[in-house]
Amino acid sequence: MDERLLLVEDDASIREVATLGLTKAGFRVTTAADGREGLLHFRQAPFDLVILDVMLPNLDGYEVCRQIRGESRVPIIMLSAKSDTVDIVVGLELGADDYVTKPFEMAELVARARAAVRRASVVPEEPVLVRGDLEIDPGAFMARRGDKELSLTATEFKLLLELARRPGQVFTRELLLQQVWNYEYLGDSRLVDVAVQRLRAKIEDDPKEPAMIKTVRGVGYRFDAG
Amino acid sequence: METRLPVRTGRLRRRLTVAFMVVAGVSAAILAVSSYVIVRETRLSDSVDRSLEQGRFNLVLAGETLGTHPTETQTNELLAAYRRRGAFETVGKSGSRTFSSSVSLGYPQVPDALKRIVAAGRLGYERETVVGQRYLVVGGRVESSDTELYYFFSEERLWDELGQLRTILLTVLGGLILLGGLVGAFLARGMLRPVARASAAAHSLAEGLLDTRLPVDSKDEFGTWAASFNEMADALEAKITALSAAQARERRFTSDVSHELRTPLTALVAEASLLAEQLDRMPPDARRPAELLVNDVARLRDLVEDLMEISRLDAGEARVRKELVDVGSLVSTAVRSRRWDDRVRVDREEVVVETDPRRLERIVGNLIGNALEHGGRDVSVRVSKDGIGAFVEVSDRGRGIEPDRLPHVFDRFYKADSSRAGPGSGLGLAIALENARLLGGDLDVWSEVGRGTRFTLRLPVT
Repeated sequence: MDERLLLVEDDASIREVATLGLTKAGFRVTTAADGREGLLHFRQAPFDLVILDVMLPNLDGYEVCRQIRGESRVPIIMLSAKSDTVDIVVGLELGADDYVTKPFEMAELVARARAAVRRASVVPEEPVLVRGDLEIDPGAFMARRGDKELSLTATEFKLLLELARRPGQVFTRELLLQQVWNYEYLGDSRLVDVAVQRLRAKIEDDPKEPAMIKTVRGVGYRFDAG
Repeated sequence: METRLPVRTGRLRRRLTVAFMVVAGVSAAILAVSSYVIVRETRLSDSVDRSLEQGRFNLVLAGETLGTHPTETQTNELLAAYRRRGAFETVGKSGSRTFSSSVSLGYPQVPDALKRIVAAGRLGYERETVVGQRYLVVGGRVESSDTELYYFFSEERLWDELGQLRTILLTVLGGLILLGGLVGAFLARGMLRPVARASAAAHSLAEGLLDTRLPVDSKDEFGTWAASFNEMADALEAKITALSAAQARERRFTSDVSHELRTPLTALVAEASLLAEQLDRMPPDARRPAELLVNDVARLRDLVEDLMEISRLDAGEARVRKELVDVGSLVSTAVRSRRWDDRVRVDREEVVVETDPRRLERIVGNLIGNALEHGGRDVSVRVSKDGIGAFVEVSDRGRGIEPDRLPHVFDRFYKADSSRAGPGSGLGLAIALENARLLGGDLDVWSEVGRGTRFTLRLPVT
């Protein structure tokens, strides 16, 4: 594996034990104790994954997430306090791919980290998919609409690919969690909802009246080719 | 700040007003009727006196004019003489001949009772209405003549005047009743306003508006009473403010403590999970303590998480995010994800409700966890719906809960089986109940010693 991972967490004990666990799982871990240091590290070297605590001194986790998302499509996992369920949605809306609530067991964090990296790295050998003026190239991990290249994160790209592969089919949130996130029970349907929102904002003409990714109330989502 | 109160006056005010009207009406009516009667009697007897006197005088006059058997010429002269005196009409009968000064009046119009009096040789009078005209008829026999004379004095003016008097009296009476009502309403309002205000104030206090006070604007009994009421409200407000401040402090403290615990707990949980992977490779002396440590960290985690959740619920910070949820499949997933498949039977119907799936999952998890912990065997879950709504039943065939303990199962940190400290935090059922209410549903329990326990979660169907 040997993926490079940036861990930004202010508590020394948590930082150390997480580093231990993640290193043992095969990640090359770089740590930072606050938001500013985290951003500094991120800009110095390339990373395959960022794990970000929400509550950080100097620059909070949301701000770090927003800035990283402005520069890169690297997968981001937020470490969130369970008490603040709004935190989770805010983090996801800012572009995080997943979240882990504190306290967590190492096995869970490792599983989420691996899943995030896998989503970003697996390159399926598939032909280019054309749906209306939407072009999805799984090999190049790239999507464009007309002449415009869409800057999608790995999760958003996977989500679009899964939906666009079978236009007209209704996907339940559970199915999408399995196919896109590779989660059996770990998943939270909010992951799907927020990712769909972000995806719509990037590909739809009017995200409030989506023409491609339609909501099927009470069930899930469906892709309609133009 | 003083809360403004709507002044409500009810039946008492209406009753007081009506009483005033009745008193004013009755006294005015007595006054009016008696004065009318007196005036009427006086006027009527005056009229009789005047007419009799005139009649007597007329008869004397006739005696001088007429002979024993007067001729028609004589009677005509008499009538002409009378006409000059004015104010009455004359009807007469001389032998079998009758005569009259008016075309509308004649001998037949003379009342029979009067004819009988006159036939007996006396002067008499009767009241008679002829073609809508009211007359006082005075009759008598002319002395030393066979002639009877009847004088018709019109009483139309008199009756008109009495009618006018009656109208005036009735109008005044009506006016007095109305005035009585108005005065009554006004007085009642003034008298009852403090009562209505006090009643409204008591209501508003009861509804929790602790700053409610009564205006002390008079020095009478009501004023004193209002002052006492205000003192009581002051005391109540101070007491409740102090109480809720203490309660808020206590909740704040619980919330702070659990928040502060979270960071070290996060480290502990992560460390314990790494340790758990190494247990097999530990020297025997260290393995057992490490195992205990891992278990206790899990217990501590459950407790802190439950504490945090309950303090969030207490603070009213808990948010509900509703979506359409297939309850049966949620229950099945909850059972599978906790690896309870082999110990829990799920019997489900298609039930879809609009609710928060995470909170529902939490309730169901807590209920099943509790059943497995205390009930032990044959735990089953039934998802269905009836006329009232959707429900989830979690039953076991454990030893059951004694009736005196049953009402306390939802209390915080209450353990039905006090002889044995269970692995749970003691908050699971309390959290389940709070969450059920947050979702607009309810949670109740049935239990019988020796037969088992059943929790029923009810959910509203939209």
